[in-house]
Amino acid sequence: MKVGIINYGMGNLFSVKSALNFLKYDNEYVNKPKDLIKYSKIILPGVGSFNQAINNLNNLGWSNEIKEMTEVKQIPILGICLGMQLMAEIGKEDGEANGLGLIKGLIDKFSIEDKSLKIPHIGFNRVNFKENDILFKNLNNSHADFYFVHSFRLKKVDNDIITSECFYGEQFVSSFNKGNVFGTQFHPEKSQGNGLVVLKNFINF
Amino acid sequence: MLKKRLIFTILLQNKKIVLSRNFKLQSVGYIDWVIENFNIDSLFNSIDELVILNMNRSDDDFSIFCQQVANFSKNCFMPISAGGGITSESHATEILNSGADKIVVNSILFENPQLVKALVRKYGSQCIVASIDYKIINNERKVFTKNGTLNTELDLIKVVEGILTLGVGEIYLTSIDKDGTGLGYDIEGIEKVVNMSTIPVIASGGIGKIEQFSEGIIATNVDGVSTANLFNFVGDALFDAREHLIEKGIDIAIWKKIHNSNSNA
Repeated sequence: MKVGIINYGMGNLFSVKSALNFLKYDNEYVNKPKDLIKYSKIILPGVGSFNQAINNLNNLGWSNEIKEMTEVKQIPILGICLGMQLMAEIGKEDGEANGLGLIKGLIDKFSIEDKSLKIPHIGFNRVNFKENDILFKNLNNSHADFYFVHSFRLKKVDNDIITSECFYGEQFVSSFNKGNVFGTQFHPEKSQGNGLVVLKNFINF
Repeated sequence: MLKKRLIFTILLQNKKIVLSRNFKLQSVGYIDWVIENFNIDSLFNSIDELVILNMNRSDDDFSIFCQQVANFSKNCFMPISAGGGITSESHATEILNSGADKIVVNSILFENPQLVKALVRKYGSQCIVASIDYKIINNERKVFTKNGTLNTELDLIKVVEGILTLGVGEIYLTSIDKDGTGLGYDIEGIEKVVNMSTIPVIASGGIGKIEQFSEGIIATNVDGVSTANLFNFVGDALFDAREHLIEKGIDIAIWKKIHNSNSNA
């Protein structure tokens, strides 16, 4: 069992790797789309702009390979933050662009009326679990705190794939699960013990 | 709603951890030795964020600093801000590639604001922390740079106003007078900055005991409270500080302890 961390030129792969190393899970950066086949679990991290990220995925040949691995071969994949957003159909950051389309949904900027709430939404916030979700197993509660850094959030998603919600001026989707496809808007690799539990749950899925 | 943050700041000089009192540095010891003897794992378990500051000022030492940031980040599963001596975009990139989530800038706020704007454009505002050091001179708060050695003669509030226009994501505010004294924060100064700032503010300088964290938050509503006072927070003291904040009704994140236990499945 080996975890592949997709390296497509966007953001902080190092902390995801550190967290997996700490948990003693065999893992590697995956630098070429054709190498994805070697891995039994895939993590799509990412920090930055949706538009630039999807261009990178498309231009470097990742998009087709990710779809092949997840839709045909049914390999479990976890998208983190921007990585999660890229799984949706459409993103509106820096102009509209198509995402990977692994799930239905649209990535749009927070539109919060309360001006005291700053955007980006940064910091630990409470995540309320929908039901006995796979990723939140062993957290022994109906909620836990996780670390967020984002200005955009997932909308127009199928209700039945939402596994948790968070409140920041509005309710938004903080995680989803559709079959072998998982996404978290928060950063499990930056959420202390709570986040490590989530990563462990994904790896053991 | 967003939580308040308990932050620890590590000051590094080459491969040593140092302490600061009124910006005068004193060596604690080599990093490995400190990690072994000061129960750093428990400290890392107890904080929302780690700030790592480079006290070196020669370019040759910058890569050593980044290497240390990388070493720390391997065992830290919370956001890390790092900086000190960032004067170019390549410095910023090097620090971020070492596992930092945010970069802390100081001198370039005054010497090269265009570079600050460029960093905000490239990495986003959430990634850039403006560090501001000040000292009370004739009853006025004046901003200093160059590790507290150069008086800009600019008023603190005026400086904050200017920095807000650069698009940075937060302010790390240090009172040089209070730094390392254990006398508590400069509440009045923090309050002034918090009241005018449109971005989160982190207070630093003056913490000596755990009650002073909650005093600072309750009095000023500051977003984050930091200490670099390793001697006073050795062992489980920051864990106790967390418990104390919760007892005081302050909304901070709660999580399972991770180090010192077998975390594998």
